Amino acid sequence: MLRPLYCCLLRLHPSGFRTRFADEMLSIFDHAAGRAAAFRLLLDGFLSLARQWTLRPEFWHELSSAPQTASDGIPSFYTIDPFRPRAGAVIHGLVLSAAVFCLTCFAIKYSWIRVLHVRIPEVQFDSPRSIQSNAGREASEKAPVPPHSVGKQSIAIPSASVSAVKAPRYDLPASIAAQNSFVQSPTTGTPESQVSSGTQPAVEVAGQPRRGLLRAPVKPRDSQPSPLLSRSVSHQPQAQQMKPQNATSEDSPSAKLDAAQRQRVIEGAIAKVKVHYAYPDVAQKMADALLAYMNSGDDDSVTDGEAFADVLTKQMRDVSHDAHLIVVYSRDTIPAHSAGATREILAPYQKKLEQNNCYFEKVTILPHNIGYLKLNSFPDPSICQPTAKAAMASLNHADAIIFDLRDNTGGYPGMVTLIAAYLFDHPEYLYNPRDNTTQQSWTRSPVPGNRLADKPVYVLTSASTFSGAEQFSYDLKMLRRATLVGETTRGEAHAGSWHQIDDHFGIGIPDTRPINPFSTADWEGTGVEPDVKVNAATALDTAEKLAEKKLQKK
Amino acid sequence: MKDDVTSFLPLSPAALHILLSLAADDLHGYAIMQEVARQSQGKYKLGPGTLYDNLQRLIQRQWVQELGRRPAGDDPRRRYYSLTSLGRGVLAAETARLAGVVREARLRLQMAKPRRA
Repeated sequence: MLRPLYCCLLRLHPSGFRTRFADEMLSIFDHAAGRAAAFRLLLDGFLSLARQWTLRPEFWHELSSAPQTASDGIPSFYTIDPFRPRAGAVIHGLVLSAAVFCLTCFAIKYSWIRVLHVRIPEVQFDSPRSIQSNAGREASEKAPVPPHSVGKQSIAIPSASVSAVKAPRYDLPASIAAQNSFVQSPTTGTPESQVSSGTQPAVEVAGQPRRGLLRAPVKPRDSQPSPLLSRSVSHQPQAQQMKPQNATSEDSPSAKLDAAQRQRVIEGAIAKVKVHYAYPDVAQKMADALLAYMNSGDDDSVTDGEAFADVLTKQMRDVSHDAHLIVVYSRDTIPAHSAGATREILAPYQKKLEQNNCYFEKVTILPHNIGYLKLNSFPDPSICQPTAKAAMASLNHADAIIFDLRDNTGGYPGMVTLIAAYLFDHPEYLYNPRDNTTQQSWTRSPVPGNRLADKPVYVLTSASTFSGAEQFSYDLKMLRRATLVGETTRGEAHAGSWHQIDDHFGIGIPDTRPINPFSTADWEGTGVEPDVKVNAATALDTAEKLAEKKLQKK
Repeated sequence: MKDDVTSFLPLSPAALHILLSLAADDLHGYAIMQEVARQSQGKYKLGPGTLYDNLQRLIQRQWVQELGRRPAGDDPRRRYYSLTSLGRGVLAAETARLAGVVREARLRLQMAKPRRA
């Protein structure tokens, strides 16, 4: 029993001493008769160990090596420990490290990340600003989030109250927006305060832009724009319609722009674009183009604010070919940031959600125990989380689940993540083209008590499936978690954030380039292709049949 | 050379005993321990830790060398050590020094005796 201990002691000695004397010392130990002698030797071993390590640094290495000097007098290098492992040990080590490597890969692949509490670093392209804005966003998320993006057809300018709070990244159903009065600025209470810019404002406060949804006008893809499309897209005519009203009703000091004002706006726009645009080289080209136009006098004829904004927008888009860049003019002075109106804005939206059961239009179990959820929006999770949880709970025992998003016009990515969480048994990354990766990008799977993680999922889409609903469809399709049945979706993916230039001008700049883990392109302009292409009207029947077939196979 | 040798003096008891035990014969470590014990009538016992610590220093100073050959049938783990000529010189110098010390001591003690008596 003492011999292994003595062996260990010898092994702990410095390598030079060990290689030279360990065997002999062991042979002496073997000669020792009696326990007392063995204990004495053990004690001696301890003392020797301490002595060798503390008092004999010169013998830590191989004894024979009187420092070798190279021919030119500079000491040559010699290895610290000439000990070479056996070939067998090397092979063992190789096999063991390969096994550990495979195990680690396996763990990463199956996302034991949550279990291991490994924090995935956030992907940041332009770190200082993104971090700031993320920090700002996180802070503001604690407060109830007002539904900025409601105004699909006419979105509020960054008025005091609207700008005070964080904007959601998706749009709410047009139906709410159409009836909603809260898009009007509560401070002025006038509908005229709206500029149909398609811009979702989140005003820059103290040099820190709050990120919001910028709904840049989408060019209609088909010749017959749906009512929704026409509402959401055709901001130009509305803006012009509004002009006379405003002109008569308002004293607008900057209605006529002079050269100095124009120059100030252009310089402001250039500064914002250079700082915030996701592609610095393109930003530089745009800046050059704007200056060239200004210097050549092309802008001189434009004295109307809105027209000037349009001219600048066009000049920038000509260079960048980015339809999400937009300069916006507001006849009203864009107020500085002021807090406090959050509740007022939120109240009508909240009421609306309550009246509509948070747009969970239908939750039922179809024949063959197929769960069916018709969801017409992805509403604010801070309000509708209980509803969503209840809906998913009522479908918990279904053998398959059909999400009907044919009339879904988008909403909050938080709700997309919340619902998708039920479909996975491990945290899954959901790509959102409007936002850099955050913790919210990961589903909080597994959901306790949930049984849907391995059930077949069908998503019904139509040509009006929009925005956040497209994110839901796209991510589930890319993750091969759902079968999409129906029509190609609308194709609304990108957004930018709002930056204020001066009292009347603002600019929407796409400033994020999150990495799409699935493909180089997302669904912007093209829509999400369904797996099974059928007319939207027959999508439910088709999906039911597919689900039945799948369940029968089991 | 002589100066080099004397600069190492006096030797530590362990080093002295090891050199002394190797002076008569080439020995392995365990034999050195036994020889040291015998020389001192069992009063000075060298542990293997101390023995090999000293041996490695003696080897490095090239007072002692390790022998390649060993008697047939012996424990293969054992190594045999012998005194080099340098080591022998050092031992001689130390012995001479000690002799001087002893002589001096005897002289003093003899001088002291009558005083005490």
